Amino acid sequence: MSQFKALLTKELKEAFRDKRAMMMAMMMAVMAPVMIFAMSKVMIKEAVETPAIYLKISGAVYAPKLIKALNDENILLFTDVPTDKKTIWDERNLTLTIPPSFNQQMLDGKTIDLYFSADYSEKANLSPVRRIRHTITNYARAIGYKRLLVRGIDVRLLQVIKVIEQDTSLPNSNAMIISMMLGLYLLMAAFMSGLPVAIDASAGERERNVLEMLLCQPVSTVKIVSAKLCCASLIASIGVLLTLSLTTFSVSFIDLTKIGASFSLDAFTILALILLLLPICFFASALQLFVAFQSKNFKEAQSMVSMIIMLPAMVPVVMMFVDDKPKWLDWLPISGQSLIMEDLFKGLPVSWSLMAFTGLVTISMTVLLVLLMAKKLRSETVVLALS
Amino acid sequence: MIEVNNLHKSFGGAKKGFFGKKANPVIALDGLSFTANDGEITGILGPNGAGKTTCLRTLYGLLKADEGSATIDGIDAVKHPLQARARLGIFPDKFGLYERLTAYEQIDYFASIHGLQGHAKHQAIEAVINDLEMTELAHRKTLGFSQGQRMKVTLAQALVHQPKNFVLDEPTRGLDVMSTRVLRNYLARFKEKGHCILFSSHVMQEVAALCDRVIIISNGKLAAQGTPQELCELAGETNLEEAFVKIIGSDEGVAA
Repeated sequence: MSQFKALLTKELKEAFRDKRAMMMAMMMAVMAPVMIFAMSKVMIKEAVETPAIYLKISGAVYAPKLIKALNDENILLFTDVPTDKKTIWDERNLTLTIPPSFNQQMLDGKTIDLYFSADYSEKANLSPVRRIRHTITNYARAIGYKRLLVRGIDVRLLQVIKVIEQDTSLPNSNAMIISMMLGLYLLMAAFMSGLPVAIDASAGERERNVLEMLLCQPVSTVKIVSAKLCCASLIASIGVLLTLSLTTFSVSFIDLTKIGASFSLDAFTILALILLLLPICFFASALQLFVAFQSKNFKEAQSMVSMIIMLPAMVPVVMMFVDDKPKWLDWLPISGQSLIMEDLFKGLPVSWSLMAFTGLVTISMTVLLVLLMAKKLRSETVVLALS
Repeated sequence: MIEVNNLHKSFGGAKKGFFGKKANPVIALDGLSFTANDGEITGILGPNGAGKTTCLRTLYGLLKADEGSATIDGIDAVKHPLQARARLGIFPDKFGLYERLTAYEQIDYFASIHGLQGHAKHQAIEAVINDLEMTELAHRKTLGFSQGQRMKVTLAQALVHQPKNFVLDEPTRGLDVMSTRVLRNYLARFKEKGHCILFSSHVMQEVAALCDRVIIISNGKLAAQGTPQELCELAGETNLEEAFVKIIGSDEGVAA
């Protein structure tokens, strides 16, 4: 036990004195809240605000009331565009053509053809096009209703069926994008934070010729590997905890009620998340150590381990495309945790037994990796690779 | 006491080649036997690739011999590597330092691995630091240490638990005269306390000056052994270097 303590103390000392590694480890924790904050801000802005749209209208004089209705929705004439935005709106080229016969046709009660042209495939045009169409339709409908009313007809006759929609998603699920992102970030943090330490403790030590010295000492390789694993996963856990707490803090500054969403991390959710992610931290570090010990030098270790980081990012994304999820996905590391995390963020009840089971599978895979590494370190190939 | 008995080791023989043909194995050790006694400094001489490092690595328990055995104080290094290593101080072929630790912390680390604790550990560390005249270095981080300073730290961490047996693989490589002297004095003192010291080198004067007995290895076999004087007489030469070249040069070696 005292041997293990000495091994672990030394690993921790080295890790915390490695400024570059610590910076990398904490980068994720700082980046995630900032990203989530910025993206939510943009999302809310797009959903809530109605920025001015500048529309090229020919024949505006023929339909002054329509123009006014458009103006009320902040859809303005291109002739009024401020000079700094002129090129943008000129390029977008949204045009509406009003025929000279507008007024006459209106009086005759005939259908008036307005021509609206825009590039529908341009993403920036989506929102303006939607708003312009909406405004014109509303304007036309209001006139239509009035026509029916003056003829003594109940406008409700037009409404044959009314669908009453009931959204069964819980209030929390509106903030789905934020929680999806947070889930992804937490998984990434578990994988990213311990990474520099794991590589340094394995491939780095081998390259600095200190691994051979250690292997010659009267200490079992299981202890050596576990000490390195504990150190790397401790750093990973710190990274995850920091990400979680900083995100909770930064999200509290965003007014999500504007888009009718609510997002809160209560004590229960945080506890469940930590319980979910701790085994992942150990698993991730074990995987990184395993790959780093296999590789021939520091550089190879770095590029190989970087590929592992893709793992947590890929799994949830792939699972989004799988509609009928097979049962075993609930049990595997990473996929199991990300499924439970999804439920957790949706506000659905969490199956504790499933959570314990995934955790157990993850931990046993970690133990397996440790034993494998310990066996590898006793083998001759590793020793020969030293020189 | 370190005993090596009929050690055989070859590399690459087990793996099959690309077309299923067996690749030619490299024979590193071919029936090597020798004994290093307590209270003596035993030198291992041999050209590059003679099998010195392979032999020492088998002693550390890092490699498993195909045949034969290596024992440290009667403990088989392959079957019980942990117990054998506990009786061994090792100064390896390539040594590195933990550059983010201070010299003291490093010695402390190795002392703890060898099971030293508390006051006894502290005393042992202080003693070895004083012995090697490295008090000034003790609390500095080892990043940027000179070759001589690195040697001292490595020596200190190998000897902090006062091992009965001490193995050094080319310890004087890259050292200046002063550092070599520190090392030499320290080894001589160690010998007087009755420890067993085994050390490999390429520097003839050093071996001649320091070693009680010399073992010459060539092609994985024992080529000759004896005191430096005996070896010179055996080869009919006046200095060890000439004797060494002559002994290696002959195909079958000179019977000791």
